[in-house]
Amino acid sequence: MIHHHPDNNMLLEYASGSLNWAHSIVVAAHLQLCPKCAADLKLLNGIGGNLLATSAPALASAPEQEKQSFEQLMQRIDSGNQSFDAPEAPEQKAPRTALPRKLAKDPVFASVPPVVEKLLGQNSALRWRRLSKGLKEARLKTGQCQHEVAFHRIAPGNKVAEHDHRGTEITMVLYGSFSDADGIYSRGDFLVREPGETHRPTATQNHECLCLSVVEAPVALTGIMGKLVNPFLSFRPQ
Amino acid sequence: MQASDQARNDEWSRLLIRVGRHRDRAAFEQLYFHFSPLIKGFQFSRGGQSSAPEAADELVQEVLFKVWRKAPSFNPDKAAASTWIYTIMRNCRIDALRRHGRQPDTDESLNVEDIWDDSQDDQPLIYLQQSRSESAVADGLQSLPPEQSHVIEKAYMEGKSHSEISEELGLPLGTVKSRVRLALKKLQSTIVR
Ligand SMILES: [Zn+2]
Repeated sequence: MIHHHPDNNMLLEYASGSLNWAHSIVVAAHLQLCPKCAADLKLLNGIGGNLLATSAPALASAPEQEKQSFEQLMQRIDSGNQSFDAPEAPEQKAPRTALPRKLAKDPVFASVPPVVEKLLGQNSALRWRRLSKGLKEARLKTGQCQHEVAFHRIAPGNKVAEHDHRGTEITMVLYGSFSDADGIYSRGDFLVREPGETHRPTATQNHECLCLSVVEAPVALTGIMGKLVNPFLSFRPQ
Repeated sequence: MQASDQARNDEWSRLLIRVGRHRDRAAFEQLYFHFSPLIKGFQFSRGGQSSAPEAADELVQEVLFKVWRKAPSFNPDKAAASTWIYTIMRNCRIDALRRHGRQPDTDESLNVEDIWDDSQDDQPLIYLQQSRSESAVADGLQSLPPEQSHVIEKAYMEGKSHSEISEELGLPLGTVKSRVRLALKKLQSTIVR
């Protein structure tokens, strides 16, 4: 059961296409696991549909020109893949990218949502970096310069150095669970930490924990350990 | 939404189904000539460089090309025709923005359809039957106070993020967020009612 969701504001930015790329990836991963947010998204897409249906139609160009544009499109369609032209069963979903073999055997990656699976498939050489005892990080190439996208694995029962953030940090649990002072977070849970909030995540005793995270700006360490270890979600522009 | 609007939306759905199942060109032509001015109108409200007529024409071509290709997977129980076309248009806009460098550092490991996919549509419907909730959304949108509908339109039609809207209107970010939340609350209550 998922208890922590992206808020309506973020879902609306996603539905209207204005949410940045890195945050959209995490929101998509959440939507693929969360029927509640998927239902909310229908409403949000419906708003877009209604605004389109009632938008003031742009004045048409000359009728011949419109007709010509239409003919051009039909030519493009006809010159494309012929198989699209035969009546057929609804388009099959593209085959899911196979996970790299090494990852496929790892239970932590066994049932990630499709968008994460694709990410993993495209970043076959995940380079895990040990940040501290029981904490590993693999950065992905997919962020932008303002965002760092990464996977984090926390060993069972492991505590991460306390840290706060100079920028917004979003974390989604993909496997296992972790807790901090505010609660416990399991698969699918979506957490936003605003700048200034400190926390100290701890993985649950019996399971390893895998998270997908996006951090906006450098993370500051507040604990004494901060001098020795990297934060949970470190940021270092590459 | 007026009953006649609803009937018309149903009519576009029927045409889309004919395109999907029978590759019906006459049906597609009707859809093309109905939706292309709407797509352009929507796009022109964007302001800035992307509202150049050529960009709008390009968008129309791209969206309708995808409509033709994806029509076999259109399911009227899951979305109204206009909503389905809206999501295709939104994805085309995101793609165009990426290619034209508004988000320059994105790499190629994911494409737009991986992130804005339709798999959420496989979820069971929790709310009312789709077409009824669509018309409730339309009614709800019309009855929003102007300051709320204004931010909603800016978000969707101009493709602005909350912080861009807040900068542009000179309002605190929190005010923009709460207007959006109030608007959504109202729309949700119209649907669940
Ligand atoms: Zn959710």
